[in-house]
Amino acid sequence: MLIINCPYCGPRDQSEFSNGGEAHVKRPDGSKEIGDREWGEYVFIRANPKGLFYERWVHTHGCRKWFNCVRDTSTDEILVTYKLDEKKPNLNNFKSVVKTPSGEPEVGSGNFTVEK
Amino acid sequence: MKSINLKGNQFIQFHQKISFKFDGVKYFGYKGDTIASALLRNNINLVGRSFKYHRPRGIYTCGIEEPNALVQIISEYSEPNTRATIKKIYEGMEIESQNRWPSLENDFGSINNLFSPIFTAGFYYKTFMGPHKKFWKNLYEPLIRRAAGLGKPPKDFKGISNHIHHNVDITIIGGGLNGLLAAKSFINSNYDVLLIDFEEQLGGIINNSNKISSIDNKEPKDWLKETIQEIEDSKNIKILKNTLVTTYNYINHLIAIEDRFVGSKPIEGKVNSTLHKIRTGHTILCNGHIERFLSFQNNDLPGIMLSSSFEKYMCRYGLAPSKEPVIFSNNSNSNSLVYGLIKAGLKPKAYIDSRSGEEIEPNLFDLIRKNDVPLYTNSQIKGAFGNKKIEKILVEDSSGALNEIKCDCLCLSGGINPDVHLFTQSKGLLDWDEKDLTYKPSKPFQPTITLGSASGQFNFDNLNSDINEKLKTFKVKKLDVKLELNTNTKYNIEKLWEVSPQKKSLWAKSFIDLQNDVTTKDIRQAITEGFDRIEHLKRYTTNSMGTDQGKISSINALGIVSDLLDKKVNEVGTTIYRPPYAPLSFSAIAGRNCYEFYDPERKSPIHSWHLKNGAIFEDVGQWKRPWYFQINKDESMHDAVQRESKNVRENAGILDGSTLGKIEIKGEDALEFMNLIYTNSFTKMKQGSARYALMLGEDGMVKDDGIICKISDQHFIATTTTGGAATVLGCMEEYAQTEWPNLKVFMNSITEQYATFNISGPKTREIMKKAFPNINFSNEEFPFMTFQFHEFNDIPIRILRASFTGELGYEIYIPSNSAPKIWDNIQSVGKEFGLAPYGTEAMHLLRAEKGYIIVGQDTDGSITPIDLGLSWMIGKSKKDFLGKRSLARSDTIREDRKQLVGIIPSNKADKLEEGQHIILDREIKSPVPMLGHITSCYYSSTLGHDFALAVIKNGHSMIGTKAYASTSSMSTTGVDIVKPVFYDEDNKRLVS
Repeated sequence: MLIINCPYCGPRDQSEFSNGGEAHVKRPDGSKEIGDREWGEYVFIRANPKGLFYERWVHTHGCRKWFNCVRDTSTDEILVTYKLDEKKPNLNNFKSVVKTPSGEPEVGSGNFTVEK
Repeated sequence: MKSINLKGNQFIQFHQKISFKFDGVKYFGYKGDTIASALLRNNINLVGRSFKYHRPRGIYTCGIEEPNALVQIISEYSEPNTRATIKKIYEGMEIESQNRWPSLENDFGSINNLFSPIFTAGFYYKTFMGPHKKFWKNLYEPLIRRAAGLGKPPKDFKGISNHIHHNVDITIIGGGLNGLLAAKSFINSNYDVLLIDFEEQLGGIINNSNKISSIDNKEPKDWLKETIQEIEDSKNIKILKNTLVTTYNYINHLIAIEDRFVGSKPIEGKVNSTLHKIRTGHTILCNGHIERFLSFQNNDLPGIMLSSSFEKYMCRYGLAPSKEPVIFSNNSNSNSLVYGLIKAGLKPKAYIDSRSGEEIEPNLFDLIRKNDVPLYTNSQIKGAFGNKKIEKILVEDSSGALNEIKCDCLCLSGGINPDVHLFTQSKGLLDWDEKDLTYKPSKPFQPTITLGSASGQFNFDNLNSDINEKLKTFKVKKLDVKLELNTNTKYNIEKLWEVSPQKKSLWAKSFIDLQNDVTTKDIRQAITEGFDRIEHLKRYTTNSMGTDQGKISSINALGIVSDLLDKKVNEVGTTIYRPPYAPLSFSAIAGRNCYEFYDPERKSPIHSWHLKNGAIFEDVGQWKRPWYFQINKDESMHDAVQRESKNVRENAGILDGSTLGKIEIKGEDALEFMNLIYTNSFTKMKQGSARYALMLGEDGMVKDDGIICKISDQHFIATTTTGGAATVLGCMEEYAQTEWPNLKVFMNSITEQYATFNISGPKTREIMKKAFPNINFSNEEFPFMTFQFHEFNDIPIRILRASFTGELGYEIYIPSNSAPKIWDNIQSVGKEFGLAPYGTEAMHLLRAEKGYIIVGQDTDGSITPIDLGLSWMIGKSKKDFLGKRSLARSDTIREDRKQLVGIIPSNKADKLEEGQHIILDREIKSPVPMLGHITSCYYSSTLGHDFALAVIKNGHSMIGTKAYASTSSMSTTGVDIVKPVFYDEDNKRLVS
């Protein structure tokens, strides 16, 4: 079970939180014409990298605030959590490293680093 | 096997006799005995039958690693698969052996052993294939399930456990020599330390073996007593005894189970186990090592035991299972057993070592010579023989000659492994040690430290420096402990996994996994068949998949496989050890979260009235809702529902709608927010009016519906479906925070703060007038889809004119505390008008007659508002709302989508069934193109026949045509496809 550092409440048990999928996915502006592809990508397409990943969480059984984080999907390590209005951190700032804890080879299915 | 008691043991109270029953026969043991030690004291070694072949099995070990001696505890709700080697006896305990019929001595199932040549790896997968696939489910599986397996499920099990959370800096797992030394380093330091041991007495190897002769020039047991006292006195260290760490999760999260009734019968109604959930900064693993066995012919016979286990029975339980055991080893770990036996005045019948004379430790050599023990070096045991117990062994000596030795006990040692289960659970990596022939922890993945034999340090030479080095980061005081050993040796082992058999026979088997009855032949066969990857091999043969996870044998399997494949063991790899380390009962995991605490029941404020008035309840989410009301015990559900619905159509009915979700939305930008969340436009809506509204997902599919009341542009109250309330509130909060943080809007759930009564029927207006005489309910003053705030006897109430039945109707919102009073009042004034309560089933029938959908019943997450014929609810002039753009996707605008229609049987007497398909052919000849299915279906006494709602392809344009509905008896019923409204199509009853 993870410990997640809620930017409003501090470190809490994972069971208090819900995951909200990829972060920084921009909702297309409804007041403008939106193309099929653009809308389709917003609704259906999400990244699923092995490695560093911008992710949304909500403190459901706590302050009910949404926030963002950077999580290493290969190790489950949460490197940073930050409020929605904070700038998204540069992934190059983290010493990331696909650590493959279960001993599988570093290159394999789904093994690519995040580049967006 | 004839055992003897070794008096003067500090752990067994020989003056305190305890009686217990095994398979119905009464025996005696002593206080402190486990089931296994007590049985051995009574010279019983046949304790169970094996999983597949029903072979006789005995006690193989003296601890948690036991593969064979699993018993059923009759006196504890018949708890199955209990390890006899760790469960302590108590007065009056009743134990039964497992997997045998009619008795342990004469087991019918042992016939399987004769057929064993066909029960090889993959036997079930290959054999039970035909002649029809139904044979597996109906014949083969039940037969096999009865024949194979271990214990029987417990009866009326009511184990109670609680959970305790710990938050500490350091957790030391294992209170043996290294664990105690580590704890000693932390005495009176600033660290919060938890020391956990599985046993009742700390000490590990000091208690269990003859290895150590003195510590700091003191008797080991005196040193132990002093050290434990010092640790107990230290305020920063807490000791958990009788506690087994079963799980090592991410972020140093440990799960441990504490047995609260060791050596006594659990008291009914008392907590019998505690689950400790530990979050720790660092974990120090001092959980020691496990001895492996060796594979040879009939290495499963009762009377065969691991040599360190024999030693533990002597040291820890004051019992030598046999007076003259034969010892067979390939390493130096069994030296201390020879020493211990001789010290106790016993003599091994023979000492057999696969190593050559030069490799055997000189001091062992001297000991053996001096005491005249027959010695076989460079020798191997070819097989063990006997009827339900070991009677003789066959030894091939260095010259190749065969020697028969009669014996009643054989002690085996195939080497030792660090107990790496927890370390690998923590995702740490292992490395193969070519010298010590075992996997050892190498790279930890978390802040994990391993000490002593758990880290692969099988010698005591570097005891101090190793601990001091590894605990350096904590800056605690350095240790300087002086250790003297009885058998002063360095760990030495020669490679030996399996001894090739002398001659083949059906009965003779060389086992690699005792619990799952896997033989070395199965391993060979699996590799021949291509299962040469270790994870495939494990699943195909079920090797190490028993409840013991192959603790004494999984490394041997890797060794055999590496030899067969001619690969290094490191290349073969190891299978992953998964939690829990030892079986954990579900009741322990559940803790207090059972029954009403597992999933809370939510009840409306009127619940007690419903109980008194014959309500039969239905679960809707967590809510208990009246399904229907029985006026007498003989009334059937069908009759009750028809009576209730007829009464609504003719007189008036009242429904407790308190469970409906209610959300209050407030703020400067509430109007704009509501316009973005729902499909409808609320801009032109008048204050004090209400609107039926739809909420979509971003994919354009209907997610929820409800009625929105507009109090002002800055204040709305929305209702949601009973089950969808939390999701809708969550969705609103998500969008308010993530997409439109610029909007000033706040929302809160008020579901439980307000009760809701839905009154509807032609006589409703009369009832309302009488119940609330100061309110004008005329159609002009109180039109359809408007609401008003009032006070009634100082209770603030809100009345909404709306209807889910198609009749004239009002919804009354009342603060929950005052609700029962008003409910009772309406009941009494309504009596003369025939007002009667109705339940959810009648509500469903009434709304379906009117063609109103239920989200989640008539929709399934793939239905758009257009599919439902509700295009009028979409605020087309709005620039944006959730899912708007999706309504113009090519998939949502195509014409052959499934659309909502009404269905009535062409022959009105025919019945329809919910969930059945709508098809075009009268005959069902597969493949039949399926148009869609019936989503709701009822009999209506108003209409006089069955009717249904259905979603079918291109449904809107099929209205007016005929089709067929399938039935559960594989035939069809002719149906007419009609508009999904069956009652009062022009809403006359609703709006007048």
